[in-house]
Amino acid sequence: MKVENYQHKMAAHCESGSITSLLNHSGMKITEPMVFGISSGIFFGYFHKMKSFAFPTFIVRNKPGQMRKNLSRRTGVKFYTRDFKNPGAGQEALDMLISKGIPAATQVDMFYLDYVPSWERVHINVHFLVAIGKEGDVYKVSDSYFPDPVDLPVESMNKGRFAQGSMSPKGFLFYPEYVPQSFDYEKAIRRGIKKACFNMLSIPIPFLGIKGIRLFAKKITEWPAMARDTEHLSHEVMKINILLEDQGTGGAGFRFMYATFLQQASDIINKPELKDLAKELMEIGDGWREFSLFAAKIGKNRDLGAEKFKQMSDFLYQRAEKEEDFFKRLSKTIN
Amino acid sequence: MKEKDGISDCPEQQVILYVEKEDGKYEAIQTGSYISANYLDDYFLKRANLEKALGEKIGRGEINAIEYYMILEDLTLSELAARAGMMKWIVRRHLKPGNFSKISESAIKKYSVVFNITADEILKRQSGKRN
Repeated sequence: MKVENYQHKMAAHCESGSITSLLNHSGMKITEPMVFGISSGIFFGYFHKMKSFAFPTFIVRNKPGQMRKNLSRRTGVKFYTRDFKNPGAGQEALDMLISKGIPAATQVDMFYLDYVPSWERVHINVHFLVAIGKEGDVYKVSDSYFPDPVDLPVESMNKGRFAQGSMSPKGFLFYPEYVPQSFDYEKAIRRGIKKACFNMLSIPIPFLGIKGIRLFAKKITEWPAMARDTEHLSHEVMKINILLEDQGTGGAGFRFMYATFLQQASDIINKPELKDLAKELMEIGDGWREFSLFAAKIGKNRDLGAEKFKQMSDFLYQRAEKEEDFFKRLSKTIN
Repeated sequence: MKEKDGISDCPEQQVILYVEKEDGKYEAIQTGSYISANYLDDYFLKRANLEKALGEKIGRGEINAIEYYMILEDLTLSELAARAGMMKWIVRRHLKPGNFSKISESAIKKYSVVFNITADEILKRQSGKRN
């Protein structure tokens, strides 16, 4: 059994990509950057010590699930959502949807996906993919990170959907059950930008938004003392590049995708200032990319002396300053 | 980022990047992963060194096979306990090298599900028969 006429398309990010593909399948013409922008996807958070992370880490997007919820509030799309206590019931529900020709996104731990290369397989409980078919004991899956649909054994799908731990998926699945013929783009775009500016500038939590970038800048100099040895430190420093460039961000920690959203939004709501801001964010993103390429290079060369961490810290303080100024002006432009 | 600056050659790992095209429009391109294109050999080198170093620690009785996989998979004690469905204090006890032989079969099975390997592989790793 399979979902007819589902157009698989690669995307920068798994959640915005899955949502975009499902909406396109349901007849709504919308791009991934527009989904990302309307849902206030851009973000920053730094986590220095957390029970679930073995080493400090950071995020560059809003909380998993928020994109779907924000988009729904701002466009009128209604999503069917469900999670499960029982893996058998979860599998049955997914199979039922496929048999009815309904593609559904489901949340999984990426570690259990056989088609993912070994170096990418890490325990991340918040990966999204779309189930589009099933033959015998193998699902056909549309994963935004891969050029073509891929096969996934039922056993692996179930392990991924019902992995335990922080943010465990619980077999969560969703699909759009109502898509409006049209919606007020201007209102949705404005609300999306306002919330993104609030998230970056005003959340009163010291490790989120611009404050999070500054905390990262301050704390990164402590990393050498937290690593097991030089190779571990090299691995963690090179992960900065992976988190900013590789792990489904569209480059520069989603800054390039958000710039693309602003450029598209400028035409839709006829606000030329947004185009200038888009250009500026593209340049800010270039700075992030310079930072991530620097991290990859010093990690590879094991050139991990205190002065390099000071340099990375300075890079980050600069990004914080630039982004603070940028989001303040973006906020004023949209109000 | 200009389109030409985003291109990397890595057929094994493709990604989508948003770049500035020649006409000034920002659009998605499909290209190779920069870090995999340039530094994948370094990842495998570090991984092999880590596996070897941890294997030697098992041999010296400093860690056991559960901690070996926990470190390899970047899991904390809390996360491993949550994923295996066990109390933290029980996992902490299991991680003591001398306690490995006291871990029940069912607990080994639970860990093996988290690590996505067989229970037998954990036992072989502990006894040093698996390289």
